[in-house]
Amino acid sequence: MANSNLPRRIIKETQRLLSEPAPGISASPSEDNMRYFNVMILGPSQSPYEGGVFKLELFLPEEYPMAAPKVRFLTKIYHPNIDKLGRICLDILKDKWSPALQIRTVLLSIQALLSAPNPDDPLSENIAKHWKSNEAEAVETAKEWTRLYASGA
Amino acid sequence: MGTKVSDDLVSTVRSVVGSDYSDMDIIRALHMSNHDPTAAINIIFDTPSFGKPDVATPIPSASNGGKRVENGIKGCSFGDSASVGVTHRVEEEDESVNGGGEVSVSGNEWWFVGCSELAGLSTCKGRKLKSGDELVFTFPHCKGLKPETTPGKRGFGRGRPALRGASDIVRFSTKDSGEIGRIPNEWARCLLPLVRDKKIKIEGSCKSAPEALSIMDTILLSVSIYINSSMFQKHSATSFKTASNMAEESMFHPLPNLFRLLGLIPFKKAEFTPEDLSSKKRPLSSKDGSAIPTSLLQLNKVKNMNQDANGDENEQCISDGDLDNIVGVGDSSGLKEMETPHKLLCELRPYQKQALHWMTQLEKGNCTDEAATMLHPCWEAYCLADKRELVVYLNSFTGDATIHFPSTLQMARGGILADAMGLGKTVMTISLLLAHSWKAASTGFLCPNYEGDKVISSSVDGLTSPPVKATKFPGFDKKLLEQKSVLQNGGNLIVCPMTLLGQWKSEIEMHAKPGSLSVYVHYGQSRPKDAKLLSQNDVVITTYGVLTSEFSQENSADHEGIYAVRWFRIVLDEAHTIKNSKSQISLAAAALVADRRWCLTGTPIQNNLEDLYSLLRFLRIEPWGTWAWWNKLVQNPFEEGDERGLKLVQSILKPIMLRRTKSSTDREGRPILVLPPADARVIYCELSESERDFYDALFKRSKVKFDQFVEQGKVLHNYASILELLLRLRQCCDHPFLVMSRGDTAEYSDLNKLSKRFLSGKSSGLEREGKDVPSEAFVQEVVEELRKGEQGECPICLEAFEDAVLTPCAHRLCRECLLASWRNSTSGLCPVCRKTVSKQELITAPTESRFQVDVEKNWVESSKITALLEELEGLRSSGSKSILFSQWTAFLDLLQIPLSRNNFSFVRLDGTLNQQQREKVLKEFSEDGSILVLLMSLKAGGVGINLTAASNAFVMDPWWNPAVEEQAVMRIHRIGQTKEVKIRRFIVKGTVEERMEVVQARKQRMISGALTDQEVRSARIEELKMLFT
Repeated sequence: MANSNLPRRIIKETQRLLSEPAPGISASPSEDNMRYFNVMILGPSQSPYEGGVFKLELFLPEEYPMAAPKVRFLTKIYHPNIDKLGRICLDILKDKWSPALQIRTVLLSIQALLSAPNPDDPLSENIAKHWKSNEAEAVETAKEWTRLYASGA
Repeated sequence: MGTKVSDDLVSTVRSVVGSDYSDMDIIRALHMSNHDPTAAINIIFDTPSFGKPDVATPIPSASNGGKRVENGIKGCSFGDSASVGVTHRVEEEDESVNGGGEVSVSGNEWWFVGCSELAGLSTCKGRKLKSGDELVFTFPHCKGLKPETTPGKRGFGRGRPALRGASDIVRFSTKDSGEIGRIPNEWARCLLPLVRDKKIKIEGSCKSAPEALSIMDTILLSVSIYINSSMFQKHSATSFKTASNMAEESMFHPLPNLFRLLGLIPFKKAEFTPEDLSSKKRPLSSKDGSAIPTSLLQLNKVKNMNQDANGDENEQCISDGDLDNIVGVGDSSGLKEMETPHKLLCELRPYQKQALHWMTQLEKGNCTDEAATMLHPCWEAYCLADKRELVVYLNSFTGDATIHFPSTLQMARGGILADAMGLGKTVMTISLLLAHSWKAASTGFLCPNYEGDKVISSSVDGLTSPPVKATKFPGFDKKLLEQKSVLQNGGNLIVCPMTLLGQWKSEIEMHAKPGSLSVYVHYGQSRPKDAKLLSQNDVVITTYGVLTSEFSQENSADHEGIYAVRWFRIVLDEAHTIKNSKSQISLAAAALVADRRWCLTGTPIQNNLEDLYSLLRFLRIEPWGTWAWWNKLVQNPFEEGDERGLKLVQSILKPIMLRRTKSSTDREGRPILVLPPADARVIYCELSESERDFYDALFKRSKVKFDQFVEQGKVLHNYASILELLLRLRQCCDHPFLVMSRGDTAEYSDLNKLSKRFLSGKSSGLEREGKDVPSEAFVQEVVEELRKGEQGECPICLEAFEDAVLTPCAHRLCRECLLASWRNSTSGLCPVCRKTVSKQELITAPTESRFQVDVEKNWVESSKITALLEELEGLRSSGSKSILFSQWTAFLDLLQIPLSRNNFSFVRLDGTLNQQQREKVLKEFSEDGSILVLLMSLKAGGVGINLTAASNAFVMDPWWNPAVEEQAVMRIHRIGQTKEVKIRRFIVKGTVEERMEVVQARKQRMISGALTDQEVRSARIEELKMLFT
């Protein structure tokens, strides 16, 4: 089984994620692949995503922790740094990855990204434009989407 | 002596020549005339310069009759001082000393040595020369002149003179006629160096010459030789350090030869001369005539071959058996015994009483008074013909000259007590300290107010002697000359390795009656330097380290500490410490000032015959303290395989060395010492499967590297790396964890230093990056964490740190995790803060444990440890104590785990302990019955320590050199041991350890010369190859 020689670091991280989960975040490995995590992030309060439950998938590549985990939103989300396929524009998932980061810190960073969208470094051009030209309207759209796609289902 | 001139003859001659001539003149004339009074009278009247009638001073005479002798120098002033005229008067009834100072020879004074006739050779034709013509001598000026070393090759044959270098021809001429001729080479050889150095002046005139000179005609000259007073100062200015070098050059000494040519005959001859040594007169063969196997002569070659080996673990020692062959185990059973001194609290064994008697005799040798008046056997005394009655002493070995009386006081009074380990050298020495205390002896121990160049009273009745000057080492020891005026008279000085400091103190306290010996330990940074304090104590104990450091500081003007004391007796314990004659410690020991000198060592020769030289120099066994003589007569012959070298060593040592071994027997043939039996066995262990896997992997890796070296033919160049490979393999046999032990963290073990380094930000020039210095608060936190030994975890592997490193930004990570996170191997980002970090900047984090792995948690017993535990378990019920020896303190660390787990209480002794801690540990071990085990590093426990509380020794890993192992084990199998001794060596089968056994055996063969030269050369590579099979 692929899990048999799972690095101790991954096991340890998993145990910790399960035993002391970060507030607003849950991550659990898949039954058949311990490198694949089902993640749920609660939309941060005072953000357009408040009240939403966002599903993500997280995969730890073979090189982890020397390479960043691969993370993607499964739940549709209206956010300038997240595209329609759920891909996330976050530096620590790319060139700023450091092995000192962990699953938990990655997810916390994503949570923070929800609180503070950064339209200056967009992944989704349209949403970013919207955000810049009419932030209030864009926020409303985001709330709308949260209700539509991320309301507890 | 053969040179005695009877009083009768003197008075006969005097009756004819009258009182105008001094006794000395008459005696000299008699010498020249071969004791024929008539001829002597003729000589006196015929020689214009013979004696000066206006000075008629009685002079010292060689006759030992009850003559009144006055050795006076009257009204003569020397040098720039006009008030030095001093009379040395030695009278038979009242041997008091009148002299207040000494003859000052400081100026540039010429002293008349004597005159002689010599046959010059004409080098001219037709020039005129008549009797009485003054001659001028011209000496060649060129440098690089080598003293002619083939006497008898005098150029008398026609044409032959041309072959000689013109540089050593001394010519003479007259004012009127120019060059007339040359003097014989024999004379020229002696005169040249001396005249060149302005030590000697020559004046001469023609005595007779043929009417018409033709080439090669003989011209009879009459010459007078003067010696410059500076000659005698040269030697006082010759420092000890240079003396050892200069002696190497040649064995030709011009001055003694010149004296011989002049017909000067020593009125006191050296009892011991170079001729004695070269000729076979000296009884070289020891009486037992034991043939020394020539194979022993191989010893040196083996040694040399090993010299460049890295690491002292490869140091070649010679085995006890070989040692006995070289130095010879004297049959000492016939020695007399001396009663145990009443102040000694234990009863000496018979052989110890013998040693005491022997030592006492050697010390007595010459009683001090007598010694002070006896001429040192290597020196001869001459009276100069100068009217000032100067007595000059020449050393027949070194050619040194002095006007100070070289007495036997300079000679060795002491020797080498070389009993094998465990016979109680310490106790014998203590008994000697008690038997002859310096206080009792101090009346005879020089003048109490010994000062400068004072003359020592001679209290021996009926012995007329030349003015006796205090001990001096002409040409030997400048320091002594400078210092003697400020030296304090002290008691006994014992110099020992640091490990034995406490033992000496406690043994003295234990064995000497309370109050009989005051002991002072001169050691430590804050030791007082007050010579008075040192001299007040009966026994001062110090270490070789202290000795060296005081020796090196000793050039400073104020004389303090050990060197400000003139010791009554010095004992060097483990005296082989000074074996390297060029080392500071050896020089330091030789420079000590003492009356009686002893070397204690179980191994007077450790590696090389040369080791002995240093001991003999310290002991002042002349002439062997002079390298040239030692080298010529002992060292070289020995190295060239000439048996005489070895035989000479034996005859040198015979009188001054006492060596018994445990197997020595007494007069009745019984062993002198009965020790409980020792049961020595090797325990062979098998590696477990997992250990075997690990070992094999390591072995393969090592062998690949080694084979590379072999292929490149660079085995011997990579000796260090190969030893390192072997070291890993050997450690693996002890426990695989050892191989995983980490690098040295000593550099930053001082955490304050570490935090300073962080805050200064001076990390190898990366300052251009600006102030990338971590905040002080953070550094404090990190350092505090380290100090508390908080484990924390690596941010990368999330495990406890393994071989943690610190980045310059003060982040801690496992070394391997960090390096793995970098794209290239030399630098990368700090995973925590993303600062650029280079590999060199990393600091190995200091921690408590030196293992990469958490050994406690992951503890696994190695097969060797399992075997050890079985043994210990078997001994537990009997309560008998054990010592575990290992070469690696890391293994001692590991051993602590199973010992505690199995409830064996233990103590530990290794090199990290200071003296007090050591003493405490040893005391605990021997007194606390519940402590069963002593963990000891082989090096810390090698010498001197008495561990008879234990009766079992476990040697955990084999040492290259079996002698070291043996020495350690002998700590328990020695005097005082009452129980049967069990010695166990552990060897893991099928590993490098087993190969080492073979190599050890092979080495023994090599030492004993079973291999030929050719074999020896390739032996080292072979040996290594063998280890990698």
